[in-house]
Amino acid sequence: MISRQAECCFWMHRQVERAENAARLLAVNRSFILDVAQPEAQQWWPIVVVTGEQERIRTVLGDDAATQGDAIQDYLTWNPDNPVSIYSSIRWARENARTVREVISLEMWETINGFWHWLTRGQGRRLYNEDVDAFYRRVRDLGSTFSGTCHNTMLHEDPFDFMRLGMLLERAGWTARILDVKHHMLGPMEDNGPASPLESAHAMALLRSCSATEPFFKQVQHAPTPRVVVGFLLFAGNFPRSLLHCLDRAMNFLRRVRPESGRTGARSMALLGDLLDDTNSLSLETVFERGLHTELTRIIDSIAKVCDAVSADYFHPDIGQLTAGGQQTQSQSQG
Amino acid sequence: MASDSESNNDGGGLFEGYQPLAGAFDEFCAMDGSPRPEAVRVVERLDDLGRRAFMERQRLADGSFLKAGVTFSVYSDRGGVERIFPFDLVPRIVDGAAWDRLEAGLIQRVTALNLFLQDMYGEQRILAEGKVPREIALGSSGYLEAMHGIQPPHGVYIHVCGVDLVRDPNGEFLVLEDNARSPSGVSYVLENRTMMKRILPRVFSESRVRSVDAYPARLLSAFNELAPEPRERPRVVVLSPGPFNSAYFEHSFLARRMGCDLVLPDDLFVHDDEVFVKTTHGPTRVDVIYRRIDDAFLDPEVFRPDSMLGVRGLIRAYRAGNVTIANAFGNGVCDDKAIYPYVPEMIRFYMSEEPIVQQVPTLICAEQDALEQVLADLGNYVVKAVDASGGYGMLVGPTSTKEQIEEFRARLKENPRGYIAQPLIELSTCPTWTSSGLSPRRVDLRPYVITGRETWVLPGGLTRVALREGSYVVNSSQGGGSKDTWVLEPDSQEDSP
Repeated sequence: MISRQAECCFWMHRQVERAENAARLLAVNRSFILDVAQPEAQQWWPIVVVTGEQERIRTVLGDDAATQGDAIQDYLTWNPDNPVSIYSSIRWARENARTVREVISLEMWETINGFWHWLTRGQGRRLYNEDVDAFYRRVRDLGSTFSGTCHNTMLHEDPFDFMRLGMLLERAGWTARILDVKHHMLGPMEDNGPASPLESAHAMALLRSCSATEPFFKQVQHAPTPRVVVGFLLFAGNFPRSLLHCLDRAMNFLRRVRPESGRTGARSMALLGDLLDDTNSLSLETVFERGLHTELTRIIDSIAKVCDAVSADYFHPDIGQLTAGGQQTQSQSQG
Repeated sequence: MASDSESNNDGGGLFEGYQPLAGAFDEFCAMDGSPRPEAVRVVERLDDLGRRAFMERQRLADGSFLKAGVTFSVYSDRGGVERIFPFDLVPRIVDGAAWDRLEAGLIQRVTALNLFLQDMYGEQRILAEGKVPREIALGSSGYLEAMHGIQPPHGVYIHVCGVDLVRDPNGEFLVLEDNARSPSGVSYVLENRTMMKRILPRVFSESRVRSVDAYPARLLSAFNELAPEPRERPRVVVLSPGPFNSAYFEHSFLARRMGCDLVLPDDLFVHDDEVFVKTTHGPTRVDVIYRRIDDAFLDPEVFRPDSMLGVRGLIRAYRAGNVTIANAFGNGVCDDKAIYPYVPEMIRFYMSEEPIVQQVPTLICAEQDALEQVLADLGNYVVKAVDASGGYGMLVGPTSTKEQIEEFRARLKENPRGYIAQPLIELSTCPTWTSSGLSPRRVDLRPYVITGRETWVLPGGLTRVALREGSYVVNSSQGGGSKDTWVLEPDSQEDSP
């Protein structure tokens, strides 16, 4: 498929995934701070850290930004200048969808376009003001609807594969970042004993942030100690938001989009392959030996490198090299 | 979804009290308000529906267009804003027999325009014989020196032509202008039709309307026929300036309906005089480009060396015969408004025929006598810039203020070559839904003519309507809306042989 269209597909689904994760994280935190007494400045700041918006939000809300819970939520939800606000994510997802309108299905277009109008023509804002949890629920539902519509109405070929690839890499990144922000609140990981009430609350919030509560109990049948929860979110290959699952599925789609012959796609394939192998061979013990934060940082950086490589391999190919390589060209240089 | 099957005369008949506009031809009614023969059936069905149901359906239609993203962008200080193209549910109807004659006239006209382009970029016989003034033709901003000696496949320059028609008070169709570069609007024709079938199924099904569905397939066939050399499956792409262009919806729509790719200039590149598109599997050769970008932004090598836009080397590839570009470059010389007065002469010159469809008498301000005549009576003319479109750069004398007229007088004196003048045509009206019920509003009609190995006309076309009371300007950028255009088959008794 055309490189630019592939890029739009990749980002479109990625941005919907981003909005969905942000909505879930915000909603979970709202209920979490009701359960657990925390200093004001620690209630919402960790969420800002997950989105990487610490610097910009200080310029908008001032140095005491951390204590302004409502303003933080508003900033992460509605601010058009915040590139990762829910508003911006939906806007860019819809703009990408509009740009490749001829590539995606009618149903996908109507899903994202309808949601955009809902969000920006009054109804969305009204719901946010009246029942903010219901609002975040709507955003999460969009994620599911969009993903399901994509799966059920697109041909399962290149455009679909690039959408899934973008969505999965985004999701892997969220799981890693959410874990990273929560890790220092989780208490000593070496300890296999029963968790304190606060640790349990954090562990539960962590599960909820990844829609993992019920899957966790079904599979693990164990009290949610921080250590077990971290293991589940990293390595439960059958849980669709675990790091391992996301990377494994992403690898599948990367294989599918790669041409059968030639060098195209070699770099992104190698990088993701390495990351997947590492993750597969990693044990929970090793993770804690090296330090959870160190490991998560490495993983987050690796995911970013994979995304860059996908972009270089598929979205912005070097024409000079390609014409010299000459696959599918009928130029004279091929003789 | 909407069922208009039961009669629901709630709120009164739609046409009750409809009063045609004095001095204009009404598409539905004679001066006494009685429906024209071809309109009787449609009027009855709409009357059955009643006002309340009609309004409800109008609201449904507007919501559906927004949901489907059938929108265009309006430029303003705050950047692009998306709007739906206002759509009026009352169709514009054209009697089948009148249409057949019109169709023959359009084919004749487009054929002549195409022959003119062949001539202009070849021997220029028509200039040598003095039928078109040399200085006007060669002085046209659309005339492109670089096209000389390039022979497009099968000599086709105007693959898609939009011919703007108006109807005078006698009901005679007149050509107002030709659009031979990249006419837009056809997506609205197809979307409006889809909407009408959904919203007013009964009115539609009982009216025997000629189908417009074939357009995308016809367009694709024309492109396939004109691919540079016989290819089993030529690669056709639609080239758009990008999502910020006001007609992006249409570019995307046509690509979708033809099943081909939509590309932006950056997706293409030229290597060894061949055009390639960048794909995730490497470069792939392109055979036909349906471009919806102006000449000036197509190839920086030829048009604007300073421009970053366009596809470098495209004209070289075109000249080498390796790619078909639709429409061809340099078509602006044939739809220049200062060339327009000579089209009937072209038809006689190249085809030895008399024009089937007439056009509006036009004064060329470049000619001294004409200029004086126009300046003496400026308030009674419509003056248009020869190289403008979209309703910009024009003066409608009879509806303008003294200041506007005087301002235009100065511009006209400064650059007479830049303008033509026409008498104000009392455009025909069509019943249109307004806040006070159905009222007559002025309309024009843009049929679309496709040329591949042969020429084909889409039955109907885009009817644009000036929604403001008293307005003559139908352009979407200036308060215009659109209607579905129904070319009606004659009643069934004439069907049997």
